[in-house]
Amino acid sequence: MQFANLLLVRLLQTVVVIWVVVSIVFVVSRLIGNPETSLMPWDATNEDYERIREKLGLNDPLIVQYGKFLGDAVQGDLGFSYHRTGPAIDIVADKVLGTVKLTAAGLIVALGLGLPLGVLAALRRGSPMDWLARLVAVFGQATPSFWLGLMLIFFLATKVSWFPTAGAEGFRSLVLPAFALGLLSAAGFMRLTRSGMIDVMNTDFIRTARAKGLNERTVIMRHGLRHALIPVMTILGIELGRLIAGSVIIEVVFSWPGIGRLMIESILQSDYPTVQAGLVVIAASITLGNLIVDMTYRVIDPRIRMAAL
Amino acid sequence: MAAHAEAAIEIEARRSWGRSYFTRRYLLVLPPMVIMVLFLIGGIFADVIAPGDPGQTHLLSRLEAPVFSGGTSEFPLGTDHVGRDIWTRIVHGARVSLIVVAIVVPGAALFGTAVGMFAGWRGGIVGQLLMRYVDVQLALPAILFAVLLGAVLGASLRNVIIILLVWTWTVYARLIRAEVLSLKEREFVVASLAAGGSNWWIMRKQLLPNVFNTIVVVMTLEIPIVIVAEASLSFLGVGAPVEQATWGRMITEARNYLTHAWWVMWMPGLALMLVALSGNLVGDWLRDLLDPRLRNLG
Repeated sequence: MQFANLLLVRLLQTVVVIWVVVSIVFVVSRLIGNPETSLMPWDATNEDYERIREKLGLNDPLIVQYGKFLGDAVQGDLGFSYHRTGPAIDIVADKVLGTVKLTAAGLIVALGLGLPLGVLAALRRGSPMDWLARLVAVFGQATPSFWLGLMLIFFLATKVSWFPTAGAEGFRSLVLPAFALGLLSAAGFMRLTRSGMIDVMNTDFIRTARAKGLNERTVIMRHGLRHALIPVMTILGIELGRLIAGSVIIEVVFSWPGIGRLMIESILQSDYPTVQAGLVVIAASITLGNLIVDMTYRVIDPRIRMAAL
Repeated sequence: MAAHAEAAIEIEARRSWGRSYFTRRYLLVLPPMVIMVLFLIGGIFADVIAPGDPGQTHLLSRLEAPVFSGGTSEFPLGTDHVGRDIWTRIVHGARVSLIVVAIVVPGAALFGTAVGMFAGWRGGIVGQLLMRYVDVQLALPAILFAVLLGAVLGASLRNVIIILLVWTWTVYARLIRAEVLSLKEREFVVASLAAGGSNWWIMRKQLLPNVFNTIVVVMTLEIPIVIVAEASLSFLGVGAPVEQATWGRMITEARNYLTHAWWVMWMPGLALMLVALSGNLVGDWLRDLLDPRLRNLG
């Protein structure tokens, strides 16, 4: 019962978030920008401008425009792209898979690098391994992702041609962008796993597990790591959002065909319907991602199942 | 709860590393501090350190190598694709970053703290609405809204500053609100209320001093974030205008010369990375010193 209530509340929150996003884009594009100037050729006459304003409904009072726009949006109609052919939402939908691939790969890098490094660093505190992990954490946190991406291209795609410099053809082209995207989150996961493991390895139930003769591997993996993963789960939702946000710049650096690059291009072309559609999709996926992580978390850790929001 | 556990772990870790921990920590934080000071000096005295015009092109000496890589001392760090002196541009780029930081960080701290204090102390519907807005903004990719604003407002340093202010104030608001909410329940605040202390007096004399460390620590940690954000905006083409030398724009323009003139991209990139790294290390150090509870801020 409580679970269902919670789900309902969170879904409502998602709707509110999307509404706020759509409204922000509406205000920014209609109040500050001039959609029609970006559509017209440079030699357009005043009558041409008048015609296009009439056609797009830009002569109506703002509140009417807003109402019409919201009404259309609720029915899934986010308008036609100004610069590409077709409904904005279809253009965005075309690029969803690219961003999903990149984000998933980034998450795999983040977890695949962060968790083992964190565990090793915790088990051998003060060792070279620990220092290496800390170094990765510090650099991962401080290096701007676009600069990291360019360095990776410089060393691994131009100095030695192990990976392509850009594009999205095959698995090899995914490696560099995924790494550039995932390193920041890897640093976060590493730090959390490390402190979690240090914490848990001193507890009584680990001593018991050792005392009953389990081998160290089982103690660490089955008893220790499982416990240390709880805080990692907590920030997984936040990190997922960060990865989606980070993919915007990474897609530009690596010319990766995804929503982020489409959005940047559309923003620079003042193609507001596409921008709107893109932001709605991104906002929805971040909030829904958070929701899924939250729900999984509650299933995994029964202790917080009864807690409020 | 997690924060307490982590703090306890850290204290234990420090003990196990021996008494020299703090001295060692000082030595470790010294180089980044020096870099930050150099960044500060470079930004303030840009005209003295690099008196040339950062936009001056030398079409006969395009893509010239730095002095340590076979170039001449006329262009110590080499030149870019239109023959502009990279050293001059980096120093003047530092000035742009510094101006942005000097306005955005205190500005966002002031506004965010005010909102956080209000939402924590008075709350009410307005406070709730403000915090919901903060939640929404923090949950969404700020970079997209920043680029949108940048594209609509147009390229200028003033607009970059506006964008970054809008981008960063929410962090302070959320943290300060949480702190005020817990301070509100503390006995000394309750006692002041009971003794008839005015809201204004309590905020000024009791809440502000208690959240001051948090503000200072977050401001320090925000310095590298703002620098990188400004560079990212320039990199995406919505930062400061073309005629202004910024690190982000230098890196973007250098992308096409990556293979045959490495220095064009590496010099501004290294400057950016060094300053971001140093800012982070100094911020971490200050946080451990002043406010270790913020450790799990990430």
